[in-house]
Amino acid sequence: MLLSELNRGEKARIVDLSRVNDMVKRRLLDLGVMEGMEIQLKERMPFKGPFMLNHGGQCLGIRHQEAVQIEIKRL
Amino acid sequence: MNLALLGNPNTGKTSLFNNLTGSYEYVGNWSGVTVEKKIGTLKNKAGQLIDLPGIYTLNPLSKDEGVVSNFFIHDSFDGIVNIVDASQLERNLNLTIQLLEFGKPLVIGLNMNDVAKNRGIYVDEQKLSTALHVPVTSIIARTGKGCSLLRDQLANLQTIEQQPLILHYGAALEKGIEALSKLMPKQAANHFPHRWLALQFFESNQNVQDFLAAFISTETLKALYEETEQAVQKGHGVNSLSQWIYTVRRTYIDSIIEQAVDRQSAHSTNWTDRIDAVVTNKVLGLPIFLLCMLLLFKLTFDWLGTPLSDALDSFFSGPLTNWLSWILTSIGASSFIQALVLNGIISGVGGVLVFMPQIFILFFFISLLEDSGYMARVALVMDKVMESVGLNGKAFIPMIIGFGCNVPGIMAARTIEQPKERLLTILLTPLMSCSARLPVYALFVGAFFVQYQTIIVFSLYLLGIVMALLLAKLFSMTILKEEQSLFVIELPPYRLPQSKALFRSTWDKGKGFIRKAGTFIFGGSVIIWLLTYAGPHGLNVQMDDSFLALVGGFAAPLLAPLGFGTWQAGAALITGFLAKEVVVSSMNIIYHVPNVDSLQGLMATQFTPLAAFTFMVFVLLYIPCLATVGTIRKETGSAKWTYFSIIYALVLAYVLSFVIYQGGKLLGF
Repeated sequence: MLLSELNRGEKARIVDLSRVNDMVKRRLLDLGVMEGMEIQLKERMPFKGPFMLNHGGQCLGIRHQEAVQIEIKRL
Repeated sequence: MNLALLGNPNTGKTSLFNNLTGSYEYVGNWSGVTVEKKIGTLKNKAGQLIDLPGIYTLNPLSKDEGVVSNFFIHDSFDGIVNIVDASQLERNLNLTIQLLEFGKPLVIGLNMNDVAKNRGIYVDEQKLSTALHVPVTSIIARTGKGCSLLRDQLANLQTIEQQPLILHYGAALEKGIEALSKLMPKQAANHFPHRWLALQFFESNQNVQDFLAAFISTETLKALYEETEQAVQKGHGVNSLSQWIYTVRRTYIDSIIEQAVDRQSAHSTNWTDRIDAVVTNKVLGLPIFLLCMLLLFKLTFDWLGTPLSDALDSFFSGPLTNWLSWILTSIGASSFIQALVLNGIISGVGGVLVFMPQIFILFFFISLLEDSGYMARVALVMDKVMESVGLNGKAFIPMIIGFGCNVPGIMAARTIEQPKERLLTILLTPLMSCSARLPVYALFVGAFFVQYQTIIVFSLYLLGIVMALLLAKLFSMTILKEEQSLFVIELPPYRLPQSKALFRSTWDKGKGFIRKAGTFIFGGSVIIWLLTYAGPHGLNVQMDDSFLALVGGFAAPLLAPLGFGTWQAGAALITGFLAKEVVVSSMNIIYHVPNVDSLQGLMATQFTPLAAFTFMVFVLLYIPCLATVGTIRKETGSAKWTYFSIIYALVLAYVLSFVIYQGGKLLGF
């Protein structure tokens, strides 16, 4: 399933990031987000706005357009 | 001894800089705060400390990060202070590894141990030190705890013979590293470890690639890169070289964490999550932000700022003027000097300084937004709006900083990764109503719109934002088209701002205003007064026959369709290019009145309320001030875009003012 299909508060493991734009992927890697990592959806902004994720105690925001390209597995 | 201070964004790096050097520097927890290369002397005089922008890795994505990469390639330094966030050790050590590979002596300041402990992460600094073979000191950067110990270690840094860390990256990549090292000129080895350069090259560090291209042909570099990448892809089953390098480092980091970190279950409430549940709530997020802004304006203008500045005004126009005129008379100053001081300097400089309370209150709240960690949330909440006009949420931060002063706002745009979005932000930040425009509003609002003060001023701020958004849309659809946009933002934990740091950063921002009063506005006032004193037919002429009237007269016919076609308005606007406050200084001098109250009385006879509002709109938009133009030139590196920023603003101001004034007249105002 896709990250965009996750509900608020749910946890998931990232399965595939290969479809994400290179610059975004690099920035996510800088923040320690890569395949195999566990994330939690904290909040999603309205009107297909950004997603707030929790990853190992740090909080980060990404766009909806990226969330639809991230393959995850719900935990 | 020159030391470089490096660390991830939002780790307390700037606080540490202040504590180690004791200098009054800008503290903030938004990643874009450190924009210039700052140098301070260590408190124990052991050497100089260079503050660099916060980075996650040495491989740059944004302009800000490129500064660090270039520093490593081109500057010489003796050692590194690496601040590490204990609560995000994995991520922070990724940078540390790259610094260790560079091979300069290094000391780690382990910050935020308290945050880590609250999350159940116990970092043993002794074990960490043993595992990394460098000194590690636990510190609390915000309060300065542990910083003197760190300073002592820095003093001994030069005696340490640091060997570069060598990780084994697997046969395929090692072969590439060796091949590339052989191609590098021998003399480069004195300055940099070849291995570090090669690794950064294979990680696709653009600055290192450019640097190497000076010694090695681009075709050779490209062929070597592709050959190595293919070998690594085949050998390790990864997508890219950078991913492989990251994986190797990560494995090493995991082994270090295994040795030095003890994890237990978290035992305290997570305040950040609780606050975020409200502040970045899907429904409440945007209203809460708007409410914060409204509150900020209410406090700045209504509740706190205005009473204070009224008190200051009566002090300037009463006791101070009397006292100065008594001194001038008793020392027997000529009437020329007396007029210059009382009518020129006191009116001009004093007329602007009375707005100091409002400006400092505004700066205080901007510092509060930065230091608390709320600023990054604003970027998140605003991203959808900004995206719809071709920008991203991060562009909103320079704009908010621009409310204080456009110059740091424009510099803060450096953290925006996308070049087009950065340029657009630079061009549009001057439309944010900075604190220097505030005296102009305060003057006119006090004269014409006493009952609607907040609403009128708020409408001007809003107008600036709306215009910036509309133009962003227009420019991004026409002259600045670009396909991909990038928005990934770290939302740091909330921190209770420290009063000391808060006052420091308020003062750092506000002192620029006072300095400006002492230089630009002082000089401008003297010149303006001289221009009113002298005319084509001699000295001490009637104001209407002065040089200033002559100059202002040229502009007057152009301004007539906007409702303020007087030479006074023309002269005030022309001189306002120096600094927007000078508009008020000029008016004080031209109308030659003792205080703001009587000036406001006089203005009522010169402007209609509609013309007054139009004048404020014009001042808001018409031109970036001199300092801002200089910053735009420096930051864009382009004369073309600098002219563009001036011209579009003039056109916009004229057209909009024309529409408001003529439209308002038709509607019967």
